Amino acid sequence: MKVGIIDYGASNLYSIDRSLRYLGANTLIIDESSKLKEVDKLIFPGQGSLGSAMSHLKKIDLFEDVRIQLKEKPFLGICLGLQVLFSKSEEGDTQGYGFYKNEISMFPPDLPIKVPHMGWNKVFIKQDHDLFKNIENDTRFYFVHSYLLKDFDEEKSFSTTHHGIEFISSIGDENIFATQFHPEKSGEAGLKFFDNFLKWNP
Amino acid sequence: MTVAVRIIPCLDIRAGRVVKGVNFENIIDAGDPVETAERYNAEGADELCFLDIDASYENRSATLSTVEAVASQVFIPLTVGGGVSKLQDIERLLEKGADKVSINTSAILDPSLVGNAAKKFGSQCIVVAVDSKREGEKSYVYTHGGKNKTAFETSAWIKIVEGEGAGEILLTSMDRDGTKIGFDNELTSSIAKDLSIPLITSGGAGSIDHMIEGITDGKADAVLAASIFHQKEITIAEVKDGLASKGIEVRL
Repeated sequence: MKVGIIDYGASNLYSIDRSLRYLGANTLIIDESSKLKEVDKLIFPGQGSLGSAMSHLKKIDLFEDVRIQLKEKPFLGICLGLQVLFSKSEEGDTQGYGFYKNEISMFPPDLPIKVPHMGWNKVFIKQDHDLFKNIENDTRFYFVHSYLLKDFDEEKSFSTTHHGIEFISSIGDENIFATQFHPEKSGEAGLKFFDNFLKWNP
Repeated sequence: MTVAVRIIPCLDIRAGRVVKGVNFENIIDAGDPVETAERYNAEGADELCFLDIDASYENRSATLSTVEAVASQVFIPLTVGGGVSKLQDIERLLEKGADKVSINTSAILDPSLVGNAAKKFGSQCIVVAVDSKREGEKSYVYTHGGKNKTAFETSAWIKIVEGEGAGEILLTSMDRDGTKIGFDNELTSSIAKDLSIPLITSGGAGSIDHMIEGITDGKADAVLAASIFHQKEITIAEVKDGLASKGIEVRL
């Protein structure tokens, strides 16, 4: 089994790569389309800006091929990798893949909070999922983001988190799972989550 | 019901070793970086910060191999600073496993570096480190590891880099650094009240009470310390217990 990590030129994909290899996984950095067929699972890493991620993927002709794979292989989106599944973001009106119509918005400016939301926050698990196996409810994971998913289908929302307002911190839909938090930076809890992803058979 | 206050041990790195000084001088050896990082991770550190203290002074980039060695063993956020002067430096550090880079001297030389870096890598990745020293009623920014005074007043400079798109401010009081008499909470709170991005307070932590005051009085979002953790005077777990006993949210 081999896990592909999509390289869009500006992310912390190496952190994810190191975590997975620490757990004994085979990994491959996907920086061209031909490599997609070599992997069994896919991770779309977090960080960076949505606009530059999308334009980089288009530039190296990965955009459409990744879209096809998203429907076929177990897919984990992290942070930006969650936001990319949606149709639009307030972040420069960038278009993502548009699987879901909900909007990715900014934290409301009038809240007494710091943005980016940066640090360890609680993940309230709303529904069981294979990826949350052996992870306690209310466990703190590491977050770093300025944009968020406020509303989503209840049956596809797996956890929420609170920073000034409540937002959706993970979503799941058949072969797709995506988190707003960063498992690769979440210490023991994050490694457990990745281990669950490696074992996952949706 | 919110994000936890972060406890960040800082590892000053010189020639691949952890070192520590007082008021930015009298540098002594304090251990191996990977062993130190693993110990802090096990104790519950929320992040780790690496500063290659000679890097900008000697005009070279931070110790990439040290970053890589730590990043392969410890899976919490790593901020790396020292000699970051162009986008390529940031890219190289991220490749080695850094999550954020801290920019200090180069931001003063060219503030647009902060903006360009934030655009390319995202604001979350760009920490602006500010070394501040008091002079009468005012505080000024210093560069090159505290060696050169600039004309910027600390508060004015922080507003500039916030506007450029910095994701976080690491504010070090040079007057307090290594002294263990407590953070400069007056300085920190005066800056935090006008700041929309997270602020890490640094310089002067000597006890658990100092850590608590850094949050309650200094209004910081995170506390950074080196000496007291290196010398095993207090553990990170003890700091967290102390903060939690005051009702401050921590990751236990």
